[in-house]
Amino acid sequence: MNTLNFILGASLQPGDFVGFTFFIGSVSMLAATVFFLVQHGQVDKKFKDSMLVAALITGIAAVHYYYMRDQWAEGLGSPTELRYIDWILTVPLMVVEFALLTGVGMGSLFIASVIMLVTGYIGESGLLAGGPWLWGLFSGVAYFWMAYEVGALTRIKIPIQGAVGEALANAKGKIPAAGAMLQWFVLVGWSIYPLGYLLGTADGQWYAGIEPLLGGLPMDIVYNIGDAINKIGFGMAVWYAAKD
Amino acid sequence: MILSKNYILSSKIIGLIFALSIILFKVEDTYSTLIFVLIMLSIGIPHGSVDHLIAFINPKSRRFKSKLSFFTIYLSLISVNILLWIFSPYLGLFTFLVVSCYHFGEAQVIGFNDTKNKLLNFILGANILLSLFLNNIFELQIILNDFTFFSSIDLTPYDKTFFLLISVTILMISVVQFKIDKKVPLYAEMSILYLIFYHTDILTSFSIYFGFSHSLPMLIMEYKEMKEKSFLKFYLKTMPFTLLALIFGVILYYFNNDLLTANNLILFTFIVISSLTLPHVFIMKDFVENK
Repeated sequence: MNTLNFILGASLQPGDFVGFTFFIGSVSMLAATVFFLVQHGQVDKKFKDSMLVAALITGIAAVHYYYMRDQWAEGLGSPTELRYIDWILTVPLMVVEFALLTGVGMGSLFIASVIMLVTGYIGESGLLAGGPWLWGLFSGVAYFWMAYEVGALTRIKIPIQGAVGEALANAKGKIPAAGAMLQWFVLVGWSIYPLGYLLGTADGQWYAGIEPLLGGLPMDIVYNIGDAINKIGFGMAVWYAAKD
Repeated sequence: MILSKNYILSSKIIGLIFALSIILFKVEDTYSTLIFVLIMLSIGIPHGSVDHLIAFINPKSRRFKSKLSFFTIYLSLISVNILLWIFSPYLGLFTFLVVSCYHFGEAQVIGFNDTKNKLLNFILGANILLSLFLNNIFELQIILNDFTFFSSIDLTPYDKTFFLLISVTILMISVVQFKIDKKVPLYAEMSILYLIFYHTDILTSFSIYFGFSHSLPMLIMEYKEMKEKSFLKFYLKTMPFTLLALIFGVILYYFNNDLLTANNLILFTFIVISSLTLPHVFIMKDFVENK
């Protein structure tokens, strides 16, 4: 095992469930990257950019999960900074998938994702005054703007949607079905992140009761599961539209 | 579209593999100087060492009546740049930044859009340099220690993630403003660059970007345009002026402490690069037109 450890700074300890989810995160993202790259050669020309972006999303995540696993295994605590680096780079690429499928909405989705990330980062890092709940609220509003724009709210029978949602609904072939999957990811999958945010910033806040409510579930497990579902799932949904 | 030609993509993939190897194998920052020197000598300087040949390739944009007028203008621009750095370092730095922004952006946009939109070229190059600097801003403050208006700013309340966030935000806002044929692949490639800039130190970041994303594709493009029989034969043609550039650097270094940076080797190196870059930018502008 020591010979294999040339690339890893530290080994996971027995019973380290959180560390194990980091490990699973890194290898599953790497496997997904290989899969999407292989499929890139198989799909129709118009979907090639989408498959490349899907591979890029999981590839960037694989690099950062490798780092996060290492930081965790070395006992340096929760890798919040590395998570944000990963999200800053991958979230815009995820919203780009909608623009690639529909050809519309890149500008508004980029702006919404910028607001969501910047305010989320300020809230979690404590960079500015106002408290994490206020910045979290701003971040949440941007998230709902994005959910509206891509038509995710129509999945729960709220009949309002932006240009991207309309374009998805009116598209041909498998795109509406793939779009529906992506909308579910935005609606359900992405809602895991606010949960992680609340758990991570709960100390001393009015929502501190959320921690015992979730049975002391570590924030990192919530984020790791959320990341794996969303990043790989996003790519799989695009692949579903692209195959054949 | 140039990107569809395999050699551009290949050189960028080589750079990506190289960068990931440095990141994942955690190569220490102490090797960054060695990496920088190797890449600059083998790729960086050679890509500008055939300017005297490619300046005469495109008949539509030819501006020089003879080799003599070419060398006179070329060497004059280098001299003007050095004088700028000596008499007004701020103006020297400003010129370097403006010229580099345009040149880097112009080369970056090839394969994603035509190079006619000069504002787009400039903005893209500015994004690349801004990200390189922001993601290594604490190192940059040390390098630009003489520029006190910048080095004295207290950045300790902010961490590196904050600066990555700022650079990505600016990239997103600027990219959506332009009509670009292949907007998403361009944005995706820039994202990879930003990842590299974040995870490596400033010298390694610059080496990887300048070597594999800028110089190597241009070097291969020059080889194709010059229609040499073999790459080796072409590469040998770059050697004389690579050597001259090196001699120029050594001579300038001899006067360094009196004239320029007083033992700030990295800043000195960037002054040399900026001096060689100034005339090169004009040659490349003609060369890449309509590519």
